[in-house]
Amino acid sequence: MSEHFIERSRYLCALGGAAATVTAIPGAIPILHSASGCAGNFAWTQNGGSALQVGGYCGALTTPSSNIQEHEVVFGGDERLREQVASTLKVMAGELFVVLTGCVPEIIGDDIKSVVAEFSSEGAPIIGAETGGFRGNSYWGYDLVLQALFRDVVAKSSTTESTEVNLWGIAPYGDPFWRGNLEGVRRHLEQLGLRVNSFFTTRDTLDGIRQAGSAALNIVVSEVYGLGAAALAAERHGIPYLSLPLPIGPTATAAFLRAVAHKLDLSGPTVEAVIAREKSDYFKLLEPLTDCWNDLDLQRYAIVVGDANYAGALTRFLADDLGWLPELTVCTDPLQEEEQQRLVSGLSDLDSGYEANLVFETDASQVIHHLRKKWPAGNGGTYHNTFSPAFVVGSSLERELAQTLGAGHLSVSFPVANRAVIDRGYTGFRGGLRLTEDLISSIVAGR
Amino acid sequence: MSYIDLKSAPKREDRLKACIAHGGSVCDLGGKGKKSCLVDDGERGFTQGSICLLLPALAMLNTLPDNVVLMHSAIGCGTCTHSQNANVRFGGNVRWGKVKDGTWLSTALNETDVISGGDAKLEQAIIEADKRYQPFSISVVSGCVPGIIGDDIDTVVKQVQPLVNAKLLPVHCEGFKTKIWATAYDAVYHSIGRTLLESTTSEKGAGEGGDAGLAPYQGLERLPRTVNLMNVSSMGRIDELELTRLLTGLGLAVNVFPVFAHPEGMVTATQAALSISTCPTHDDYFLTYLEERFGVPYLLKHMPIGIENTGLWLRDVARHFGAEEQGEEIIRREEAELHAALAEFRPLFTGKTVFVSAGEFRALATARLLEELGFRVVGIRSFHHDAFAEGEYEKLAASAVEDYPIDIANVQPFEEVNLLKRVKPDLFLGHANGNATAAKLGIPTHVIYNTGLAYIGYRGAYDLARRLARQRKNPSYNRRLAENLRLPYTDDWYQSPPFSYINTRGGVTA
Repeated sequence: MSEHFIERSRYLCALGGAAATVTAIPGAIPILHSASGCAGNFAWTQNGGSALQVGGYCGALTTPSSNIQEHEVVFGGDERLREQVASTLKVMAGELFVVLTGCVPEIIGDDIKSVVAEFSSEGAPIIGAETGGFRGNSYWGYDLVLQALFRDVVAKSSTTESTEVNLWGIAPYGDPFWRGNLEGVRRHLEQLGLRVNSFFTTRDTLDGIRQAGSAALNIVVSEVYGLGAAALAAERHGIPYLSLPLPIGPTATAAFLRAVAHKLDLSGPTVEAVIAREKSDYFKLLEPLTDCWNDLDLQRYAIVVGDANYAGALTRFLADDLGWLPELTVCTDPLQEEEQQRLVSGLSDLDSGYEANLVFETDASQVIHHLRKKWPAGNGGTYHNTFSPAFVVGSSLERELAQTLGAGHLSVSFPVANRAVIDRGYTGFRGGLRLTEDLISSIVAGR
Repeated sequence: MSYIDLKSAPKREDRLKACIAHGGSVCDLGGKGKKSCLVDDGERGFTQGSICLLLPALAMLNTLPDNVVLMHSAIGCGTCTHSQNANVRFGGNVRWGKVKDGTWLSTALNETDVISGGDAKLEQAIIEADKRYQPFSISVVSGCVPGIIGDDIDTVVKQVQPLVNAKLLPVHCEGFKTKIWATAYDAVYHSIGRTLLESTTSEKGAGEGGDAGLAPYQGLERLPRTVNLMNVSSMGRIDELELTRLLTGLGLAVNVFPVFAHPEGMVTATQAALSISTCPTHDDYFLTYLEERFGVPYLLKHMPIGIENTGLWLRDVARHFGAEEQGEEIIRREEAELHAALAEFRPLFTGKTVFVSAGEFRALATARLLEELGFRVVGIRSFHHDAFAEGEYEKLAASAVEDYPIDIANVQPFEEVNLLKRVKPDLFLGHANGNATAAKLGIPTHVIYNTGLAYIGYRGAYDLARRLARQRKNPSYNRRLAENLRLPYTDDWYQSPPFSYINTRGGVTA
């Protein structure tokens, strides 16, 4: 891992993540206060990395943007932003407008809070977030938008509804499977009798978001993303939170549901009944694969390359449910040491007893060196215990690695350039089946 | 002093008086009493995001084999490469039978760097990239942040160059500095010229003045039958092959430049007998330089999109080499064959209306081609405007049945949606990431630029016709979208004149 650069980064800047997040909020319109190219850069990034999903109701090149230039760099951009917000409110039809700042206005010291306050005091449904690109990556931008929602949109509630929860931790477009992954978790929570606000699915509404303050629990299906918002909501709205790994497949999902039920003090029989029924379905559905699973020798050594959510979640599923051998897990996010520790300990005690090997490496070209530490290249002799048959579950940037190793490959973590995803998801029990289908299908594609 | 002697290329609003905000009509821009917006470009009081010069610059740089792109900016700048990488992979495969990802890096400037400066980080990044990837060249590309905090990539490059093996190409792409993103081409060409074509041992360029003037780079021979065919990434391989086929027909050898050209071999461009542009928007800066410095004359007038335009383009080349008869023979043969092949499509297109949106020259040339296919043009959006396009507007004004709107806009789909609701075209052709608005209105759409598809020359005219026939045959996808989705604009906006916000910035009234 280089200390001086990041190779082919698998995320955008804070503004990029924030803009994508606002696009995913029902009826919301992002207003960028930035240079003109930011919106286009995000559109092209989604085009190449988000499994063919670009924009939505208002995203990509439709996004209002102040497009500041040298004039504003010299004289300040507040006036331009004021003009842009006023005209946006006339031209664009939205239920919520979110001003997001880029690098340039933040460095020159524009005061967006005052501009936003002017309009909101006149009754415009508008909020703002300082999301300058240098503040962090797109996952942090996602977190900043959620924080802004809990600060300025979610109403303070004097009552707590014991069966209401909020769900997040999956960044729209940053996870190409964001819709399906949110829905997969949401479905199981509903099976427990909970009412769920998940912000970004087709079943969510702005009203639901406004009422999120009465939830009994915030569930963050991530050990890294969205935790800033969880802390803010705890402080401001008094809602406790639970940060859990993204649950993929039966073992992880059962653990996830038990953790939620425990925290909410839900009755044991309900959660166990849900798990039993889902498990039964899962294995009945898996049953007919078993002959070919054996006949075609479909067990694989695996390398997992993914973001902070997928690295652990995919490894856990492969080891605990699919019975593959994930010998190397690479997390490509640049993380704080404390965050790294959290991911390491999350993988230290797998249900199957499999020993995971998690490394932190932002640069994909270095993955092979990490593998060689444990699995040296062949020495030319007749007998050699090689890393084969192998499979790489990662992003589309792992195709070269897979080719080098003669391994199979599936793109799951950003960037996913070579798949079209609409609402497919890998979370929950059924998500485990979807992932099994996709992994095996890629192996037998030439059959 | 030439532009090339400056640290960075000038912005086009200064050099060419190019503009991005004008609402007019084809008669206004190309007819009598034409009113150009070249002076006093207005600004919109409402704007939507578009791109900056960084994107087209990276589209070129990422294709260069054995080159590493090192972004010097915040982490988001340049992530557009994730989609451009598809072109790098596909382009490499069709040219060399090898699929390879581009290599792009970022110094990922953070809050600390913004305060204390990023020069030292950049220096270390260059040294490490050189060691790790051992490339022939490293393009050091600056985004907005270094431009504001005062990082100096030129000085860093100068200091580090002796310590590394790779040739270092500083490229200035500070997005806030120019609203004309076509400045990107000048920025990349500028760096190629200064770094790869000029002498690095002497202060002055090899071709500058004196006995070395107007000759190929340092003692190389002139190649009397070799032409530079300029491609800044607006043509895919299939289009390059079409033009190469036509030029080979004149007995010429073709050096495609600069996309997918190895930096080490780029000096060949100084040896050519002629440089041929396919788009004045792209190449004027560099071709002027190649002529001034190395005596390579150039053609920079026509874009070979459309039947007539391809003929005009080829004729100019033929004339340059005294091969007029050969040229006429090729054109006669090609046109006869093409017209016969197009016969089955014409009845499908005749009288149908079309709206076109793209970079200025491409939009106008494609509009002419669509007229040749039988369509009636009812609106054009050009991403910017400069004087090079005046002849094209004249052609379209002359052939227009009635006047129609021309929107000079760096995308701005709010103006487009307003215009489309009024003119209700039967077909829309828009740039990449620029067809969704028309699609959600239920209009059949087709992409006007995609490096995997043919657009150029006679082959391009035929293939485009085939694709449009296909799109028109079943536009259900868009129709169903329109029935079930709404666009994010207020009803008030649809009632307002489309160019209401032009010249309103800063409280100026139109």
